[in-house]
Amino acid sequence: MRNRVWSLYLALLNVNYGWSAARYYYIKKRQRIWEPIVIGASLAPAAGFAVWLSWLMTEQLYLGGLAFGQPHLPLVAGTLAIAVLSLFFGFFYVLSAFYFSNDLPVLLPLPLRSGEILLAKLGVVLTGQYVLNAFVLLPMGIRYGMLSGGGLGYIISAIVSFLVLPLISLVIAGVLTVLLMRFVNLSRYKDQLTWIGGIGLLVLVFGFTFWLQNSVGTDDPLVLMEQLMTRADGLVKEVGNIFPPSVWAAQAMAYTPKAEGWLNLLYMLLAGAVSLGALYLLGEKVFLQGVLAGLEGTRGGARRKKAGRELEVRGAFWTLVSTERKLFVRDPNFALNGLVGYVLVPVMALLPAFGKNLGDNPFDMLALDQLDPLLVIGGVALFFLVMSGLSLIPSTTFSREGRYLWIMRSLPLSLGQIIGSRVAASQIINTVGCVLGTLPIAYFAGWGPLEVLLGALLGIPLAAAAALLLTLLDLSRPMLDWVNPIRAVKSNFNAIIGAFGTFGLAFLLGALFYFNGKTGTLWLIPLELLLAAALLAGLAQYLTRRWAPKLWARL
Amino acid sequence: MIRLQGVTKRYKGADRDAVHSLDLEVRPGEIFGFLGPNGAGKTTTIKMIVGLLRPDRGKVLINGHDLEQDPIAAKHSMGFVPDKPDLYPRLTCLEYLNLIGDVYGVDAQTRKKRLDYYLNMFQLTEAAGDLIQSFSRGMQQKVALTGALLHAPALFILDEPMVGLDPKSSHQFKEIMREHVKQGNTVFFSTHVLEVAEQLCHRVGIINQGELIACGTMDELRSQAGHEGSSLERLFLELTDEGGSDEK
Repeated sequence: MRNRVWSLYLALLNVNYGWSAARYYYIKKRQRIWEPIVIGASLAPAAGFAVWLSWLMTEQLYLGGLAFGQPHLPLVAGTLAIAVLSLFFGFFYVLSAFYFSNDLPVLLPLPLRSGEILLAKLGVVLTGQYVLNAFVLLPMGIRYGMLSGGGLGYIISAIVSFLVLPLISLVIAGVLTVLLMRFVNLSRYKDQLTWIGGIGLLVLVFGFTFWLQNSVGTDDPLVLMEQLMTRADGLVKEVGNIFPPSVWAAQAMAYTPKAEGWLNLLYMLLAGAVSLGALYLLGEKVFLQGVLAGLEGTRGGARRKKAGRELEVRGAFWTLVSTERKLFVRDPNFALNGLVGYVLVPVMALLPAFGKNLGDNPFDMLALDQLDPLLVIGGVALFFLVMSGLSLIPSTTFSREGRYLWIMRSLPLSLGQIIGSRVAASQIINTVGCVLGTLPIAYFAGWGPLEVLLGALLGIPLAAAAALLLTLLDLSRPMLDWVNPIRAVKSNFNAIIGAFGTFGLAFLLGALFYFNGKTGTLWLIPLELLLAAALLAGLAQYLTRRWAPKLWARL
Repeated sequence: MIRLQGVTKRYKGADRDAVHSLDLEVRPGEIFGFLGPNGAGKTTTIKMIVGLLRPDRGKVLINGHDLEQDPIAAKHSMGFVPDKPDLYPRLTCLEYLNLIGDVYGVDAQTRKKRLDYYLNMFQLTEAAGDLIQSFSRGMQQKVALTGALLHAPALFILDEPMVGLDPKSSHQFKEIMREHVKQGNTVFFSTHVLEVAEQLCHRVGIINQGELIACGTMDELRSQAGHEGSSLERLFLELTDEGGSDEK
């Protein structure tokens, strides 16, 4: 008989990644076999690029560090990057897995300790993190081992570091999440507080990066790197002050089989075990309270008082727009992941203003005296386009509904109303988000209101046309069978296509603008933007007429 | 009100039809009970009637509208409550009902009157501003019922409507069904509770293994089975052969 936590972990892993469903459809039923092939073929270039880049950077950092007597520089950089990324992205996964999964009502009545549920769920998130990390850490570890001639000690410490380092980051994310939700879920305003907590963490992570830069006295990344590498204590000490486990991992790999290496490995193992134990105990003490309070939902006097005023009559289209917006914004899993870009851009724009050297503001290069106003207009328009894909709103619109899609399908609505309202809702959010994101940059770079306005006016049709295409994409293959709502946005291939697709298009248009700059035809930029919007809209209209009714009927 | 003509559905990979060449007519002003053992094809049939599944063959006509050709007009005629009312958990009860009201074009005055009536009847008035995710299954069922009745549909379709309702709500709900047909409307529902079907229905249809094996009033079914005075339960067991082994 298997251990129950292990058994639960395997079952959750299966549900989360759809192994049984994949076996059933692809092998037993021989249906949709093209899907894994297309997905694999689409992801292979990105994965290959990540592996190649990691391999190359390891080599460059190793050789560069060797000149300064710090050959283990790639290990420090790699382990710190993995630790921070695991903490940053892990927070959203952990939050969703712990508190917003549909399976909680199934798991809670089972004879499982709440700490056991927590560990099994953490295990699922950790497994996903290992897969992502493998594309960076494996080539890094192999290349570093080849260059430094690492032996068995290096291999052991590299494997242990690979396994334990993300665990420590995710446990920290888990502890933060459990503590946050302990208070949030007992509040009447849980959605708002989840939002505030999530955004607070984002700002914290960026503040941390900013503080790291300022702690060594410069905002210039090249100078920063030089200072870190040439100082006697170097990067290792600097990083060690901030996140010791990543230094332990780096030093374990760098110094085994010497005693110092084994000692660092021991530190890391102990830190992993202690943090895991702490999360388990915290889970036993407060996780259940938070989850149960969360399952109770919101019952608020304020809402009740407002209830009388909420009887509004609108046309079907606008009520659909409003519903789409509410459903997106009210779910922290959707909102925090989708709206993160709109928050990050102004945060990234504002942070340098609080640095030591205001004169080194990197946004200076975007200033109007450096940049032609037509390029500013083009850049703003491209920001609208990119964010339309990056927000995940149109590319996951049907997926997010999951099992609730029956409501729309059984109502007397035309497909035009359904698709149109989704595009409109996504563009209302995108426009507000992009305008709010652009304003701080415009302020620091000294852009005028006319450039921002014209950029927005040209960006909106382009973003809307892209959103229509992405809505159709999600209609063609929606992910409706999710248990954990975050899967509908973060593990959804449509979201990846949407983000990469709009990035790709923006890149092409950006290259065209560069060409315009070189040939003195910048005046063509507005026309090119309008033409791109018209072409996209024409294609989207054609596909809507040709395929959408069939796709909708097939759901 | 409902006319099914040779409706057939086979799920991908299945070795038999879930519903096979089903012909059925439900008349205006009647309560029609749709019965059958588990997996007989009841929910598949209902999903095809409300447009959640597309038949492989055959036609579905609702209030004279072909569901395939004119789905919006057909859907305007009906209100539907599924067996498991998965409603948007992050909308309040009132927001959900407003959405339904807007989509069906129910004017403000009528909407207020009907919402007051149903929310009060189902004791949801106090909770109307709460998120649906905070509701029990029974309360969600009541919200779904209110939503389906808000536009006073000519055809009211329900899949296992009594599941999750407390006895008082269940009684009120039966009264609503009777009242609804008195106004010339139609109710079509599936159920496992044979007593409910026996009490309420003007006619019942029994489906087994995807085929309609009996249809008619209680008296017609009894004479069809050759058992005058039999209960619906006995008829059902005999027709679906579930009680066969006991009888022999």
